Amino acid sequence: MNFRPYLLLAELTYGCPLHCPYCSNPVAYPEGQELSAKEWGRVFEEAAQLGVLHVGFSGGEPLRRADLSILVEAARAAGLYTNLITSALGLQRPRAEQLREAGLDNIQISFQAEEEILADEIAGTPAHTLKLQAARMVRELGFPLTVNVVLHRRNIDRLERIIRLAEELSAERLELANAQYYGWAFQNRSALLPSRGQIARAVEMVTTQKKRLLGRMEILFVTPDYYSDRPKPCMNGWGRRFLTVNPVGDVLPCPTASAIKGLRFDNVREKSLAWIWGQSESFNRFRGTEWMPNPCRECPMREVDFGGCRCQAALLTGDANATDPACALSPHRAKLTSFVESMQDEAERLPPFSYRQNPAQPLDVTGKLR
Amino acid sequence: MIPMDAQSRPVLARGVRLRNDPITGEPLLLYPEGVLPLDAITHDVISRCTGDQTLDSILSSLAEEYEVEEATLRVDVCECLEQLRQQMLIALSK
Repeated sequence: MNFRPYLLLAELTYGCPLHCPYCSNPVAYPEGQELSAKEWGRVFEEAAQLGVLHVGFSGGEPLRRADLSILVEAARAAGLYTNLITSALGLQRPRAEQLREAGLDNIQISFQAEEEILADEIAGTPAHTLKLQAARMVRELGFPLTVNVVLHRRNIDRLERIIRLAEELSAERLELANAQYYGWAFQNRSALLPSRGQIARAVEMVTTQKKRLLGRMEILFVTPDYYSDRPKPCMNGWGRRFLTVNPVGDVLPCPTASAIKGLRFDNVREKSLAWIWGQSESFNRFRGTEWMPNPCRECPMREVDFGGCRCQAALLTGDANATDPACALSPHRAKLTSFVESMQDEAERLPPFSYRQNPAQPLDVTGKLR
Repeated sequence: MIPMDAQSRPVLARGVRLRNDPITGEPLLLYPEGVLPLDAITHDVISRCTGDQTLDSILSSLAEEYEVEEATLRVDVCECLEQLRQQMLIALSK
């Protein structure tokens, strides 16, 4: 087998204290019981044997798992590099010290903006001040820090101040992640997509600031695919480098793959990770280039962008086999472009956010934090 | 970036781990969401970046290992370290 997973995204729970309208969690949560710490431990061991080097603890909010430090310890014991992807709500000093003891390698904290009022409006809950406190505290404890800010129409013009905030927090890395329109974000895209002018100003700002901060803070920014002629090489190709295990143990080639109707996912409670990675229908469905229809099949870029994103193709065309409509060669690009063009008036009043909701019935088996 | 000098003591930056790939055995740097496979020479440089050794002593130890003059190595090693510093993978120990 030529394909090897490098990164495991461990979605520990769908519970989250934030309600961000750009969340890419599935709008319809799967049913079932969350994996136990013992089950996660087995997943980490099997992942390491497959070649996985990194695990990202994500969710929802991974801190909602009372046994998080046990999971970190298990992942470290398997040799994995551990990254906590968190809102930082619930990250008090004793908890952070416990995670440090467990061997956690890096903490990534999300911010919604650089100032409280807007940030809390986007998060749908008072969170900004707590995040600042937590970020300063983890720096005091010596953790490396990544600041993540999802960019969209409401905050992208504040980039200079957002970068300044990350700098003040002495973050090693700043991820400026343009909102990607899946899950809740797709429902909110008429409120979230920036204008072309906003994107152009952002690109210019990032270029300047990257130079200024070279060697002090790494800034990651990718032009959003809605404003590109080429689709993104989503996941570096289906089933090539990534896998996601969701809170109930389903294994997905990408975190949003449940948006693809008719695709069935195997579960770590029933099958080994090696079998799922190598043999399962879901991981082989869009592997390689054989599945591609035209224009992808004969495209010289097919091994570069892999036909783009399968979830986006399914979402925008109803056909997961189709060329990603972000590609200029897609017959569906015109429809996407007409949506993009409808978002160019920066003075226009936008629809209100439809905030992300938590699962109606909490899946939490640990239960201690609720 | 503060320029390096002979007395600078390079060290792996916070959050960066050096390990061997469990599948291929090749040396790697791991950092948040990233992997950098190392060629043999870069690995020899990085494994000397302990925070204790100065740039000068790293250069003389490498020169000894490769049986060449220090001057032959200096430019390449400094360039390699500067690049790793720009990528936030190597820092200078205080």
